[in-house]
Amino acid sequence: MPDVSLRGLSKHYGSIKAADNLSLDVRDGEYLCLLGPTGAGKTTALRLVSGLIRPDSGKVFLNGRDVTRLEPEERKAVLLSQTYSLFPQLTVAENILFGPDIKGASEEAKERLLADMLDLVRLTKRPDALPRELSGGMQQRTALARALASGADVLLLDEPLRALDARLRISLRHELRSLAKSLNITTIHVTHDQDEALVMADRIAVIRNGSVLQVGTPGEVFDEPISPFVANFVGQSNFVVGRLVKKGAFSEVRCENDMVIQARGCDCHEGQEVVVGVKVGNTEIIREGEGFFAGRIERVLFEGRNIYLDLDAGPMGPFSAKVPSWRLGKLNVGDTVQIRWSADKANVFPMPDIGLKEELRVE
Amino acid sequence: MPEVKLTNVSMRFGDVTAVDEVSLTIADGEYVTILGPSGCGKTTLIRIIAGILEPTEGRVCIDGKDMKGVEIEDRDLGYVFQNIALFPHLDTEDNVSFGPRVKDKAKEEQQKIARKYLELVKLLDKMEMFPSELCGGEQQKVSLARALATGAKLLLLDEPLSALDARVRVDLRYELRRIVKSLGLTTVHVTHDQEEAMSVSDRIVVMRAGGVVESGSPEQLYTRPKDIFTANFVGETNLLEGWVRERKEGKSVIELRDGSSIEVAICDREVGEGIVVSVRPEFVFPFTEGLHSHVHDIVYMGTYWRVRAQSVSEDEVEFDVPAHEGNLYQNGQEVYLMVNRKAAVVYPRPREGIAEATKLE
Repeated sequence: MPDVSLRGLSKHYGSIKAADNLSLDVRDGEYLCLLGPTGAGKTTALRLVSGLIRPDSGKVFLNGRDVTRLEPEERKAVLLSQTYSLFPQLTVAENILFGPDIKGASEEAKERLLADMLDLVRLTKRPDALPRELSGGMQQRTALARALASGADVLLLDEPLRALDARLRISLRHELRSLAKSLNITTIHVTHDQDEALVMADRIAVIRNGSVLQVGTPGEVFDEPISPFVANFVGQSNFVVGRLVKKGAFSEVRCENDMVIQARGCDCHEGQEVVVGVKVGNTEIIREGEGFFAGRIERVLFEGRNIYLDLDAGPMGPFSAKVPSWRLGKLNVGDTVQIRWSADKANVFPMPDIGLKEELRVE
Repeated sequence: MPEVKLTNVSMRFGDVTAVDEVSLTIADGEYVTILGPSGCGKTTLIRIIAGILEPTEGRVCIDGKDMKGVEIEDRDLGYVFQNIALFPHLDTEDNVSFGPRVKDKAKEEQQKIARKYLELVKLLDKMEMFPSELCGGEQQKVSLARALATGAKLLLLDEPLSALDARVRVDLRYELRRIVKSLGLTTVHVTHDQEEAMSVSDRIVVMRAGGVVESGSPEQLYTRPKDIFTANFVGETNLLEGWVRERKEGKSVIELRDGSSIEVAICDREVGEGIVVSVRPEFVFPFTEGLHSHVHDIVYMGTYWRVRAQSVSEDEVEFDVPAHEGNLYQNGQEVYLMVNRKAAVVYPRPREGIAEATKLE
């Protein structure tokens, strides 16, 4: 299976930079999620890999070979669209064998391939069904089988779960990843859903405005985000603005109201204006003992495994926290509580040039 | 504020029964979400309430009045669609003041109303922009402001967040509840997204195959769902097959397929009866004894690790470990799993099988 390498790809549509000097390496057999908001350039990146569009500049390598000028059918990188694009008048079996048919594969080879594919995607009982007779999940598996039968060795998935119900999406995450992993096929999966990326990816590439901001394992992207945007996009964060007053293994940041908070070590210099980001899930709410500052609970929402709290932290502004739901009833609207976090769960960033509000825009 | 009352409402399209004898009362000022998988009849139901569809049987009353023959525009309700339907040639303010304008309110009054609701959805600064200049989340906020500006006391939301990105959806659902609650409106919100339903609703009505499965507060449905379908639909859960071995106050014993046993606090089935125990991943924990299993997958979820294991009883069991404990597991590792007995819910074993009883599509 090949690795995929994108080198300095740019693609402009008028003033819109759909790809802006985009570089990314995907390893052999890796499941990589390309995560970003609508309009970030995710689909453009996939189309550049598949050959459906050509870059204005930059190169695409598959397995070390420059394929930038090759046609899609010469690349073996198959793109699966959001809507699966199955042929509505063809059966499951005919859809799967569409590629091999065109290539003139022998009847015997086709029969064997079909049996393998149906088995793989658990559709052995439905080869004669038409797409409209299948559930959304089955249609998706058929499209996957068709891509694999066409001899793809790089799978490009464009929001493969978007058309499905929320709960079904969660159930199918594991299945889709297992399928790709069992075939050891290199996969690039585009999504706007950070939970989906965390669950499915070997590595996540966060993309915005046509460029890759950060590539890393789910743990790296979640715990060590490179910018406030990434911190807030991959799991919601609270932010505090202040000046770095102490550097070291841990940072100390003095906020406008002279409150001092702690965070991880950083590369900023003392005196610099910084932003501290801490995930709502890592924001701790304590009733006894001392936190960094106090807050008043404004709203309590039960969300299943967690309860979601909105707090008014006075001069520190609004804060949110997610705490385990066994604490429901113990934290009530109107209560004054202490807010803290462990220093290694908070990240320090230089104040973005474009301002914090603009930096955090998710669409 | 109006109460909505459905009595034995059915909707048949030829041989297909989309809604099957649904009776449901939505109280004055209540925020109710109708939750269910695709094809369960939830969209048909909200359209019936709106007056877009006339039910084949049954009665719809709003604010005590029978709605038979009453058109959508005479029902005094605001409707927000999944596919954002703003007037493209009108700016934000004119979109929002559309309702007051057709009601022939004075120009000044129109402006005042538009501004009031744009302030509520925090879009006053975008008053002069056209829909094409706004992003998806903002467009949907304008749709909401427009629905509210009609002055309707009943708000119908038809998958209002489905077309948006996951991250935008999360921010907007908190906003949605804040706005609606601050106005005290009666709200019916249709969605297939169980997380969305949890965080916006006072009460969730779970639908499947045209009928209501059950209804309750988010907390009730998550912690003690009455039906096994709900248990699996409103959140992830482990479903373990077994038999009731012993019944005792506060501590009944369930024998699983491999002969090991777990304890549950509440069990209303008889000794010897075949049952299914539902327990969510955050309430399963490794111990020195319990369900003998092997780890085969570990996923980082940010604030916790989700560990997947296969038990010798052939049950698939998932459990969560807080992230700060570090990743203590590896593939192939042997573990013994216990469940928090207060968090376990016991169901009779479904005649059609677990897979069929919990099918999502």
